[in-house]
Amino acid sequence: MGRQVAIISAGFSEHASKRSDVSMPELVREAIDDCLKKVPGLEIKDIDAFVNGNMPAFEGSNIPELWMTDWLGARNKPLMRVTTGGTTGGSVAIAGYYTVAAGLPGVDTVLAVAFEQQSQGDTSVGLASVAYGEISVMNTLGIPYEQLTRLLSAGAAIGIASYQATNYMRRSKITEEDLARVVVQNRRNAAKTWWAHLKMPHLTIEEVLDTPYISYPLRYGMVCPTSDGACAMLFTTEEKAKELCDVPVYVNGVGSVANETAILGYCGSGAGQLDPSEQLGAQKTAELVYKQAGISFPRKEIDYAEVYSPFPNQELMWVERLGLFEENTAPEMYANGITAPDGELPINCSGGVNSTNAIGASAMERPAVAALQIMGKASNQVKKTVHTSLGHGWGGAVNLITMMIMSDEPSRKFK
Amino acid sequence: MSKRTFRKSLDYVKKEYKRTRTIPASWYLSSYKYKFNITHMKPFLEKLKQKKLVGLECSSCNRVFFPPRFVCGKCLVKPDRWVDLRETARVATYTITYIKDPETGGILEKPVVCIRQDGSDTTHLVNLDPEVDYKDTYIGMPVKVHWADNPTGGLMDIEYYDVIEDDAKDLGLRKD
Repeated sequence: MGRQVAIISAGFSEHASKRSDVSMPELVREAIDDCLKKVPGLEIKDIDAFVNGNMPAFEGSNIPELWMTDWLGARNKPLMRVTTGGTTGGSVAIAGYYTVAAGLPGVDTVLAVAFEQQSQGDTSVGLASVAYGEISVMNTLGIPYEQLTRLLSAGAAIGIASYQATNYMRRSKITEEDLARVVVQNRRNAAKTWWAHLKMPHLTIEEVLDTPYISYPLRYGMVCPTSDGACAMLFTTEEKAKELCDVPVYVNGVGSVANETAILGYCGSGAGQLDPSEQLGAQKTAELVYKQAGISFPRKEIDYAEVYSPFPNQELMWVERLGLFEENTAPEMYANGITAPDGELPINCSGGVNSTNAIGASAMERPAVAALQIMGKASNQVKKTVHTSLGHGWGGAVNLITMMIMSDEPSRKFK
Repeated sequence: MSKRTFRKSLDYVKKEYKRTRTIPASWYLSSYKYKFNITHMKPFLEKLKQKKLVGLECSSCNRVFFPPRFVCGKCLVKPDRWVDLRETARVATYTITYIKDPETGGILEKPVVCIRQDGSDTTHLVNLDPEVDYKDTYIGMPVKVHWADNPTGGLMDIEYYDVIEDDAKDLGLRKD
């Protein structure tokens, strides 16, 4: 029946739109070095197993985990790759948790690495490789290509988000100013984080609203960048964690739930979710994970949350769907400063995905930052003491949610 | 180029990295072959040729799929009951896309709508009447099928959706 798993460290590489100075393995190594630097008692040879992953086809490199084995330090050791699209990082972190929790003999310490070097490849080709089959079918069914490009130009990641945004805006009656406020908070937080990509310490709401629309209601200034970067996390058992670091972070609940796809059906069929901002998958995941962690009032019991929000409307949507705020109240909380680093419930103090988006790594950076906030080692550390935190990821065929709840106390069932 | 789409970049703290060697390469997606089962679409497409709309109903949860789907995600049952649907629909969600006009080089602002056909339980991405102003689109807007002149038995037989008059009492609220 498993065992308690603890996070002892997390590390990042520097993120930028083009890390033209390093190759993919060098980038990964940067994150691993940063991760190991924080635990002086541990060396790369003490790690028993490795889990890694990145978004397939975005860089045009297949099976990167095999040709970078030496750089990972994974020679002659168990190695596994997990990839689930946008949530790759979240799934890699969960796989790291599972590997330790399984209690295999001789596997105690696991290094989970997620990475992406988007400047190497073409994101649109990567997305096309996901959707190409769908497009061919639609074409067979009688929709000409020029029509498809128009329908699907609103159908990539930003398209999905803009549908969510229109529905969310209708639901909670907010204006674009509310969206811009979220962006400003994120980018200013990013300026205080050493590894973040879009650091804008002096951004204002007016500046964001001055940029052109990409897809209504999302503007150029609100959209996440494409970054190069990597993230690493160290999972180990409770006993080893107590030896190796001062404040071990215990993982008390993990979950990944997929719901029916919204907007995109299969082979041109109808999509099951009528309201894209409803997000039943997220509600289900939250329910599952809170039950595992024994959390009954998430708003009171969670001190810090990192949610996956490439677009500002999603951040507002997720915090409501994950039960942190009541429905349609999130924009108010952002306006009142409750979600700021010195507020009551700080959210995305690292700047979030809105400021740094290395796709494969993004969903892992969320639990990584949330864990560092508990340890007190995060670069934009919140003022209050964090006991319980949440890391969340969204992606897959726009329907997969990953979540991880971390705390400074082990789960009750293992006590 | 119109002022709306002039790309104004936001300043951010940049760090310069020393550029090392990169090697260009390309990856041809068109050389892949994909296998899809679209047999469940055949009766639907035949009905479209006769200018009739049908949906596929799941016999377990009674959800109606329009266009038809091969398997119901809720009950893992192959839907097998065909039901007739009305020509009217409502806008479930929408967005506005900005695409370069191939003739003039200007920017076209077009609404792309996701509709829910009356009598079905799924949404579907379609075109809206090209003469409709993008500013008039709203969620819950009633629309009606505009058939192509010569239906050929493809999804494009529904050329686009016409906007019809909305008689909802809370119209002002909806448009807000």
